Amino acid sequence: MRARDVGLASCHTCGLLLHLPGSGHTHCPRCGSAMHFRKVNSISTTWAFLIAAMIAYLPANLYPVMTVVSFGKGQSDTIMSGVIYLFLHGDWPLALIVFVASVLVPLLKMLALAYLLISVQRRSHLRKQQRTRLYRIVELVGRWSMVDIFVVALLAALVNVGAIATIEPGVGAIAFTTVVVLTIFAATSFDPRLIWDQ
Amino acid sequence: MATPNQPPDLDSVPEAIVDEESKGFPVVWLLPLVALLVGGWLFYKTMSEKGPEIRISFETAEGIEAGKTQIKFREVTVGKVDTVEISDDLKTVLLTATMEAGTDAYLTDTSRFWVVKPRVGAGGVTGLGTLLSGAYIAFEPNTTGKKQRNFVGLEKPPIISQDKEGTRFRLRTETLGSLSVGSPIYFRQFDIGEVTDYRLADDYSYVDVGIFVQSPYDEYVRERTQFWNAGGVSVSMDAAGVNVEMESLVAVLSGGIAFETLPEFRDSPAAREGTVFQLFKNRAASMERPITKVFTYALKFTGTVRGLSVGAPVEYRGIRVGTVKDIMLGEDPQHEGIVSPVVIIGIEPQRTVGYRDADDSAATRQDAEEMENSPQQRIQYLVRKGLRARLQTGSLVTGQLFVELDIFPDAEPATVIEGGLYPEIPTLPSSLQGMIANLNRILNKVEQSDLEGTLTNLNALMVSTNSLMSLLERDVPGLTKDLDATLQSANDTLETLEASASADGEIGNQLQDALREIGAAARSIRVMAEYLQRHPEAMLKGKSGNP
Repeated sequence: MRARDVGLASCHTCGLLLHLPGSGHTHCPRCGSAMHFRKVNSISTTWAFLIAAMIAYLPANLYPVMTVVSFGKGQSDTIMSGVIYLFLHGDWPLALIVFVASVLVPLLKMLALAYLLISVQRRSHLRKQQRTRLYRIVELVGRWSMVDIFVVALLAALVNVGAIATIEPGVGAIAFTTVVVLTIFAATSFDPRLIWDQ
Repeated sequence: MATPNQPPDLDSVPEAIVDEESKGFPVVWLLPLVALLVGGWLFYKTMSEKGPEIRISFETAEGIEAGKTQIKFREVTVGKVDTVEISDDLKTVLLTATMEAGTDAYLTDTSRFWVVKPRVGAGGVTGLGTLLSGAYIAFEPNTTGKKQRNFVGLEKPPIISQDKEGTRFRLRTETLGSLSVGSPIYFRQFDIGEVTDYRLADDYSYVDVGIFVQSPYDEYVRERTQFWNAGGVSVSMDAAGVNVEMESLVAVLSGGIAFETLPEFRDSPAAREGTVFQLFKNRAASMERPITKVFTYALKFTGTVRGLSVGAPVEYRGIRVGTVKDIMLGEDPQHEGIVSPVVIIGIEPQRTVGYRDADDSAATRQDAEEMENSPQQRIQYLVRKGLRARLQTGSLVTGQLFVELDIFPDAEPATVIEGGLYPEIPTLPSSLQGMIANLNRILNKVEQSDLEGTLTNLNALMVSTNSLMSLLERDVPGLTKDLDATLQSANDTLETLEASASADGEIGNQLQDALREIGAAARSIRVMAEYLQRHPEAMLKGKSGNP
């Protein structure tokens, strides 16, 4: 039995247990915050964020993330070219880290969320526990993609030695940040209880 | 309040308050929309900023990196190299590059591309900045011409950029001298142009040099302008002495060409683009009047011609009238079967201009013209009058000889000798040679006379004269003293005589006595002198008793 079945829900803000009518928007009598059984428009909101993130993922990979200008010669790198460069120069642990954090994680996150959404919309009964676990992983790990952006931001701010070396962030960095932020929003707006509603 | 561990009292649960219906548009869908718009705009921007794609071929890809090397015009980036590949025939390297938007109009078949990297050339070191920033491809746009997308890159930067104004000419020269691409062109020691290229003529008989003279100095190049090689240091040793010339230090190091127009030709029309000029080997050579008429004669010499070189001058009374063209061996005119040097000279009447006297008539002018055009008759006439050729020392420093022509009225009569390869002017030995000949004659004469005998006699005479002299030297003082005493006593006597002349007749006796005494004295002197002559040793030893 779910709390929803008997019409009960607790206020997110003050914790007061309340009885909700069948439909319509309600709010807590004690603190005034909005009450709902599940996150409002969870699926559509999640889809919106997810699609936006997917669209933004293209420029994130096609445009350069960082440009190193040294002695008048500029060298721009996209995420993948940076990974390849690090790998070819023997720094494969770093290459691995960057690859996992900047390529693998956002991609898998988006795929995972898409899978979750689709599974909920198709009212699947299967693997509810795994799906919930998946959701938890997605929510926790997602923020680590920001590592790459922090690196770019730090380098751009610190490496400013005039003509010898200057680092400029590129369009790709902004796009990538957008992707990460949007996937975080997408994950937040997904209500995992929907998995168990079927 | 429900106490813990008690079943929930569903009836005491408060009721949530119903909101008013307000279903707004799910604003969240704006986000993917915005993302789509931004992405689309970025894509569109990238596509529209992409300029034309071109292909350039070079011989080598040295310094060029795919995806990195930039194409610049006036140091502004106008394109980037995308890929570097080797052509199918393995002979060239093909680059594909993307130019900036808007460069479409400048990609024509007259536009040029070349790689800028550090180079050392005659004009100096260029492209040093690329040591730090990496090589780049320079682009020189040109709107005139057909549009095209495939280019052949230049291996070396073009000497003259398209926007420099000026005129190009070509020069012909025997040897390249110290010229190289980029060697400066001087006009009154102003650097106003450079050598653009050079190549051997098709028949290998001369070198064809291309030059570029900047405007406005190209106006000074007229059709009769003379160009000469001003590079390096020119040292010449000839009959006139040693001559050292140099234009400037830069020209010494990198070679150079200078030009000037003789005043009488300054009004000739300006030379057109592509005019071919002769490049002379130095200034003096270029200022010489052009020689077109040469009349060849042969000169036979019996002595040595060492010190005479081809190109030495032929002078008449100090004025150059020709040049030595060749030195050969030919039949000795005086000794059959023996060879002797034959000097071939060219008389060049154009070298000097005739002077016009006050009473110059048309006949004289005609004469001068005839001299210039066909001097053979004139020379024949002059030879009859005594014109001869001989070798003279031009410079004691260099020891070089030259050919001197002059009139020798006392010379043996002769005429121009015809019949050989060239007509022959008779020769005389040089003044040095003549002097040597005279000396030889004197020495021979001396050798022939009996010098030895004469010398021996002279010697003997010397000896006896010497001994006589020494004798006299010893005796004369003594003799003089005696004579002196004698004269003194004579004097006294005469005085006494005079004294006693006024006295009585004693004088006659005394006079007689005196005269007798004098006679006796003279006699004894005579005897003594004769005796001394027979016995000179009596001076020392006294009378020995011999008569």
